[in-house]
Amino acid sequence: MPEAPHPVAIAPPRRRVAGPPPLVVFGIVWLALMLLVAILADVLSPYAYTALDLRNRLSPPVGFGGTWLHPLGTDELGRDVLSRLIYSIRTSLLIAFGATIIGAVVGTALGFLAAHFRGLVEQAVLALVDFSASLPFLILALAVLAFFGNSTVLLVCLLGLHAWERYARIARGLALAAGMQGYAAAVRGLGASPWRIYGRHVLPNIASTLIVSMTLAFPEIILLESGLSFLGLGVQPPNTSLGSMVGYGREYLTRAPWILLAPAITIVLTTLSVSLIGDWLRDRLDPTLR
Amino acid sequence: MLRYLATRLLRAALTIAMVVTFAFVVLRLSGDPAQIIMGADAPPEAVDAFRAAWGLDQPVWMQYFHYFGAILSGDLGRSMRDGRDAIVLVAERIPATLALTIPALAIKIGLGIPAGIYAALHRNSWVDRLVMVVAVAGFTVPSFVLGLILVLVFAVQLGWLPSGGQESWRHAILPVITLGLGGAAVLARFTRSAMLEVLGQPYIRTASAKGVPWRAVVTRHALPNAAIPTVTIIGFMVGSLIAGAVVVESVFSWPGVGRLLVVAVGNRDLAVVQCILLLVAATMVMANLVVDLLYGLLDPRLRAGARKAA
Amino acid sequence: MTALLEAAGLVRRYFTRRGLLGRVTEVRAVDGVSLRVERGRTLGLVGESGCGKSTTGRLVLGMEMPDAGEVRFDGAPMPPPGTAAWRASRARMQMVFQDPLGALDRRLPVGAQVAEPLEIHRIGTPAKRTARVEDLLRSVGLRPDHAARYPHELSGGQRQRAVLARALATSPDLLVCDEPISALDVSIQAQVMNLLVDLQERTGTAVLFISHDLRAVRQVSHRVAVMYLGRIVEKGEPDAVLHDPAHPYAQALVSAIPHPGRAGRRVVLGGDPPNPADRPSGCAFHPRCSIAVGMCTRVVPELKPRPGDGRLVACHVAQGEVAPGTGVAEVKEAA
Repeated sequence: MPEAPHPVAIAPPRRRVAGPPPLVVFGIVWLALMLLVAILADVLSPYAYTALDLRNRLSPPVGFGGTWLHPLGTDELGRDVLSRLIYSIRTSLLIAFGATIIGAVVGTALGFLAAHFRGLVEQAVLALVDFSASLPFLILALAVLAFFGNSTVLLVCLLGLHAWERYARIARGLALAAGMQGYAAAVRGLGASPWRIYGRHVLPNIASTLIVSMTLAFPEIILLESGLSFLGLGVQPPNTSLGSMVGYGREYLTRAPWILLAPAITIVLTTLSVSLIGDWLRDRLDPTLR
Repeated sequence: MLRYLATRLLRAALTIAMVVTFAFVVLRLSGDPAQIIMGADAPPEAVDAFRAAWGLDQPVWMQYFHYFGAILSGDLGRSMRDGRDAIVLVAERIPATLALTIPALAIKIGLGIPAGIYAALHRNSWVDRLVMVVAVAGFTVPSFVLGLILVLVFAVQLGWLPSGGQESWRHAILPVITLGLGGAAVLARFTRSAMLEVLGQPYIRTASAKGVPWRAVVTRHALPNAAIPTVTIIGFMVGSLIAGAVVVESVFSWPGVGRLLVVAVGNRDLAVVQCILLLVAATMVMANLVVDLLYGLLDPRLRAGARKAA
Repeated sequence: MTALLEAAGLVRRYFTRRGLLGRVTEVRAVDGVSLRVERGRTLGLVGESGCGKSTTGRLVLGMEMPDAGEVRFDGAPMPPPGTAAWRASRARMQMVFQDPLGALDRRLPVGAQVAEPLEIHRIGTPAKRTARVEDLLRSVGLRPDHAARYPHELSGGQRQRAVLARALATSPDLLVCDEPISALDVSIQAQVMNLLVDLQERTGTAVLFISHDLRAVRQVSHRVAVMYLGRIVEKGEPDAVLHDPAHPYAQALVSAIPHPGRAGRRVVLGGDPPNPADRPSGCAFHPRCSIAVGMCTRVVPELKPRPGDGRLVACHVAQGEVAPGTGVAEVKEAA
């Protein structure tokens, strides 16, 4: 039975998009692997990350004199490095995701508020931006941790705020541009409420720029958290993160370097992957950004 | 030009005021300031005396006033651990930190900028690719990992250099390299993209089309123009140097301000933390002022003053 | 019957400050403008860049609050911008901007954007909205399949038509068009202007047509008002103003229109284009006027009917209050 004819859309066919270069592919693969490990940590990990194996303390990894019992070796308490690595990946990734999202939400909201209300609100937000640019974030974070003590929630919130001004700047700048002569002004003229303007029009238009910023901020957060944990001020025991593993492994640098090498390499490869992906995304989505 | 500087100075003062306010707010929020600054095992009479001396029984805005005044007069409380004035404790560590950060800054600028310029001038050559790869490494390898690997290679395996402490100048080599390399890579990348952007401008093409030798085009047109955005990043460099110093001093057990900060945070020695916080803020503000000054001198649009067309 | 739109004595001031420590200067973008738009008729507002006509358009629609004066729409005062009442009144009046590409969201297909006013004001059901969108597109000369296209896939003229379709979605009583054709090619300009005239005949929408192009204004308007530096200097029927301009500025504008066969008599304005932050005192046009006299530097002329034919003009000379002079040196307003 013949169907009704489809209306023919008179539009040019979409161009085929070039695939990502090999390095970016590696980055995507590695990141996917890390995500998998983080999600399936309980299933993949051969031991609990606090499990002690005192008979096999400081045993080297397979290939350097160790056994398959502990493929990446053990630390000074006989804890399996591979298991701790797996759980550390999960902790570090969780914290990084949470912090990135918190930063993006807070920053974007403040940027929108500054653009929408102008006047005093905008000046206040800009003053806050000045303030956060006036101190290296590590120092600020250390100060806050000193005053308030340590807790995971505080850590995540703190890390989240490290790059908030980037999102605020983007959101404010693009919202202002849209509002002056652009589509946001037009939609406001149609009678739309501010929620509709920002939610349905401005946000989707700036989403790609924000996402690129997020992918660039993500590795910075991982590095920050690793740094703090390395100094003993980030993730506290019994929890473990990549940075804290490096911190603990430092004392055994001479005797058992594998304790810190495994997490260190993981940190480098993960931040590298996300940076490569972020750079590639930026080149593709928004050539106006530098 | 004068107006430009005046506004910058005003903003700098405002920023410092904000940091002091931040410290005050955080201090008040985290508990009883008198107790915290005096320490957990200070006798109650001392705490009360402190409270009276600092006017902590007065309304908040008066306390803020007193706090500000105390800071301005240099009274930043005593360290919990050894009871000395926080400001003295911090001041005596400054030379050690400077001994690391100044050579590191020299490395960053001396290595990073020429590498970036060279890479931009020889685009897509092997030098360019090398610079880009190293730059990415500088960005993704955290300073503590770099430091530990250097220790592993040079101190443990090869035994050439010591791994920690501050006994001789040889002890400074690895920390300085660690601190300087990462930033040099980032600076190289930034300089490269600033140069590339300038080189792509029409006036460069015009200059070389006029017959000006390439060397002169670069030194007289490209470099000065590329210097402007590069100068602005120096303020950022100072910030990352300070943050880097915190980590590097801990890796190499170097007794500087950074290491003091980490220890103080661990002990919740708030007077010291507060002191270092203000010191860092003052340093950053001054660095940014210097950058603004340089920027004002370099950018002829600002030098000539805001003389708009009628 | 009361006019659809009545604006009386509108004043809008902006304050600019040069740098953080500079002086504050007042810029009077609109300085006492009164106008009326009748139902189903078009009022043309013409003037050069910076004369305040765009600001007038925004004031008339209530997008900004005037610092003085009042706007009444259909007899009722205009609600303040941003309020729910103001938003609801958008269904009855719309603005068409100069840049159609900027006025459209580049991420949404054109059809969705034409339907948006219907969604905002909850008109009709989703099924009926699709049919209405098709009708609207057809009425502006587009095809229904254009609804699936994105703004950057359309030509400039098609985009402006889409913007018009969106503006007409709620069947507004008033349309304010701010330089709607300036961004288009000349051949397309004529099409869009004809479209505007057509739509007005069919739907009875009143139009405030703002432009710097006197010819375009004349083609679509029933009445014309000429603006200079925030004030209306002449008002009348388009043909009358075009063939017999009363105000010296209007005369210069008209003589600047190239006309084959017209010999010489081109009025070239001397002096600099006006700076609203630095107003001349008295009549704002006096520095460039070739027939100004001393009185023109002291007393601001009122817009009133001139003796004779009753043409509304704001000029001491045209009103016959003084004899024409030979021009005067500029006198600035006291700061």
